[in-house]
Amino acid sequence: MMPNVAVAVFILAMIALVWLLQKREFDQQMAALRRDVQWAEQTLRLHMQSDREFLEEIARDAADGGVSNPSFQARAAQYLAINPHLSSITWIDAAKAVRNAVMATSGNHAANGSFAHWEQTQGFMAVRGSNLPIYTKTYVSERFGPTFEFLVPIHRGANFMGAMVAAYPLSGMLDHLVPAWFSEKYHLSFTDAGGKLLAANSTAQPLNQGLNYSMNFDPPGNGMQMRIAGYRDDADLVKTLPVALITGLSFLVIWSLWSLRNNLARRIRAEDALRAESNFRKAMEESMPTGMRAIDMQGRITYVNAAFCKMVGHAQADLIGVTAPFPYWPPECFAEHEQTLTHTLAGDAPRGGIEARFLRKNGERFDVRVYEAPLVDASGRQAGWMASIHDITEQRRARAELEASHQRFMTVLDGLDAAIYVAGLEADEILFANKAFKNIYGHDAVGRNCWRVTSACRPDPAQFIAAARKLAPHQTPLELHDTELQNRLNGRWYQVRERAIQWVDGRVVRMETATDITDRRNMEELNSQQQERLQQTSRLITMGEMASSLAHELNQPLSAIANYNMGCVNRLQANDYRPEELLAAMQKASVQAERAGKIIRRVRDFIRKSEPNRTAVRVAEVIEEAIGFAELDARKAGARIDVSVPPDLPAAYADKIMIEQVLLNLVKNGIEAMHDTPRSGRALSISARANGKDFIEVNVADRGSGVPAGQSERLFAPFYTTKPEGMGMGLNICRSIIEFHHGRLWMVANPGGGSVFSFTLPLSPR
Amino acid sequence: MTEPRVHIIDDDEAMRDSLKWLLESRGLEVELYPSAEAFLRAFSSDFCGCLVLDVRMPGMTGLDLYEQLRARASTLPVIFITGHGDVPMAVSALKQGAADFIEKPFNDQDMLRLIEACMKQDRAAASKRAENAIAARRLESLTQREREVLDLIVVGKLNKQIADELGISIKTVEVHRSRVMEKMGANSVAELVQLVLKSRS
Repeated sequence: MMPNVAVAVFILAMIALVWLLQKREFDQQMAALRRDVQWAEQTLRLHMQSDREFLEEIARDAADGGVSNPSFQARAAQYLAINPHLSSITWIDAAKAVRNAVMATSGNHAANGSFAHWEQTQGFMAVRGSNLPIYTKTYVSERFGPTFEFLVPIHRGANFMGAMVAAYPLSGMLDHLVPAWFSEKYHLSFTDAGGKLLAANSTAQPLNQGLNYSMNFDPPGNGMQMRIAGYRDDADLVKTLPVALITGLSFLVIWSLWSLRNNLARRIRAEDALRAESNFRKAMEESMPTGMRAIDMQGRITYVNAAFCKMVGHAQADLIGVTAPFPYWPPECFAEHEQTLTHTLAGDAPRGGIEARFLRKNGERFDVRVYEAPLVDASGRQAGWMASIHDITEQRRARAELEASHQRFMTVLDGLDAAIYVAGLEADEILFANKAFKNIYGHDAVGRNCWRVTSACRPDPAQFIAAARKLAPHQTPLELHDTELQNRLNGRWYQVRERAIQWVDGRVVRMETATDITDRRNMEELNSQQQERLQQTSRLITMGEMASSLAHELNQPLSAIANYNMGCVNRLQANDYRPEELLAAMQKASVQAERAGKIIRRVRDFIRKSEPNRTAVRVAEVIEEAIGFAELDARKAGARIDVSVPPDLPAAYADKIMIEQVLLNLVKNGIEAMHDTPRSGRALSISARANGKDFIEVNVADRGSGVPAGQSERLFAPFYTTKPEGMGMGLNICRSIIEFHHGRLWMVANPGGGSVFSFTLPLSPR
Repeated sequence: MTEPRVHIIDDDEAMRDSLKWLLESRGLEVELYPSAEAFLRAFSSDFCGCLVLDVRMPGMTGLDLYEQLRARASTLPVIFITGHGDVPMAVSALKQGAADFIEKPFNDQDMLRLIEACMKQDRAAASKRAENAIAARRLESLTQREREVLDLIVVGKLNKQIADELGISIKTVEVHRSRVMEKMGANSVAELVQLVLKSRS
């Protein structure tokens, strides 16, 4: 800003100086011009004054009659001779006729006595009127160009007797009254009142436009103006030289200032860049976690960075200039460090760096890796060694942790019984396989083609919901497929799940998890078989229910038939009847007989479908299966089931499913009965033993609340229930089933609390 | 008082119809109702005869109806018809004082015997009720003083004792006594006592 202002001020000052110089020069010229003009005007006036005196003298003489024509001639000619600026002197009488005239040169335009120009006439009239001398307006004479005249009246008293007239041609005045030096220097011109140029001394030279001066030319007056202008002279060049010099020098100065400024700006920029670079380097050095330490060729520390100071806990000032042993060497490692330093100074430091133990100021030890590099100064000479020091304690810990976590990961994966492998998508090579997988497909599986390895049990990739190869990493994880497959080699069933996941190296891979579900499938199969049998059993249960309602239902038509029949008999015996009455009753009776037949047919149809299938049944097996069904209930209720069956117990002759159903019913009842028993006491014991020669007795003993003494028989009645949602048919049917097998079902109180339900079954006929 | 009838309540139409046929062959008046509710709607306290009631019916059961009738102080004898498995129910009904029950399918002779026994029982009960009503009416006709004298006669007091107790003369007691015997239509003290007991039942 300031330099710019200074430059502007300088330029303005220079302009002002130049302007002042010019002005002063002009003023001087103007002053000279004015002086010269005044002098010229003075000269003209003096001449015209003497002309006037001459004319007045001769006019006075003429009025006194003292002037004759010859004397006039002589006096006028003499005067004209010494005053060449006049063209003529004429004596005009009162009648406006030329009495006498003398010309400067031969020829008189007014010799004929007439006034050739209106201005002359006007002048004469004015003189005659006023009897005072007067100058006429300018007119253009044929010989002399623009001319004016001076008329002096001749009078005696008020008697006007004519006039003496002198003619002033302007060219003559310029030629004779203006000296040569003036004409050389100035351009002198006359103009009339309208500004029209009348005469000028010369126009040969170019005019200096600014240098001119106008003034009224009076006498003769009449608005005539005299104008003087200076010529442009060669001396101007000399005068403009300093100005030119000043201007040129100014430009030079400004240019050098400009260059200086640019130079300065460049320098500032360079400095800024340098500072920024230096700050950047400093920040970099400060932020770098790597410690830097330089030693000179004598092993003296010449430089340490902030990270190094932080690492060892010493201030920079405490380290610079120190020689071995350095304060960060742990005492127990002195020998090692000495040896390393010797090697380093000898230039034998290993390129891969060396690991060492450093001592922190607070006594802590830490592990570092040190890389040494030669330090070369500006002249290319080695000045020492620069070491970069990395704290590897954290790194070592992280590595150890990573290893441990990998170990854990592998332990978990190998511990899984599901077979897991991960395969790349391009070459389908197995990238990873856990122990369960290797146990099935061989321990050399990793690296081989996954489809070939798992050919015995692999899903069809065409059924995957997406082509894994087209998936981008951000779309993972994605479930591709989930199916159940049987391994053709070992015959076991697996639930095979395919997932696209992102592998550790970032690419998308496919992970297969094969979970062995053979047991579950077997269980399901078993369950469905049981379900089937249960359905059959439920038919039996329904049959039991029907048996109960059958009696009632069948009673209706049978009773009705008997009634109709006896009604007829009674009437016939009493001999009190109408045949049509009897007929109607008989018909009604047969309708009821049909009704009974339908009921029986329905039951028979039903029973035919659920014929019991009696075979030799091992009671232990039946108990085991029944418990299998009740296990879930038992676990939910927190009840324990104890089974005690002698191994030599003979087989019973029964329908296995029906008996199983009875047992399951009893077991479930027992578990439910123990609802209010403390958890620890919830034990259900099932036992079987021989009952006499022909029967097997099965007991189901619970530790529940028991049954009130008088209620035990009601338990077996239909529709009797203690459960809010119960049908009340369970025990009734159980008894029906057992009785169907020619056994017995009964209940007694358990001596230790609760109830014991027992039933007997016949031994199978050998 | 309506005619003695056998009121049969059974949801099975054939059962109702056939029973009617059977009972009418023995000259019994029979009324049929398809449900307990229908019977209750028709019921009036002067029903007589007997009730034949099916235990198991949809809606109100035979037992429910029986309880309802007891609540209304009906003395109609009831015969329950039970089916297979209804025995415990019928037993509990019997314990509550029901007349009898008969299990399906039943012997028509048994059924007729039961019904006739019930009709007879109801008739006896009805005549007894009538006698009691007469005794009660006669008792009503006594004056206050005669009533007092009667009460004392019934507990076996002599005329003198009555006169002392009531503070009246023996003569007056004798007059009251003869008026009481006349009004009550009794020939002896024993008859009088019987009448008083009837009137109180």
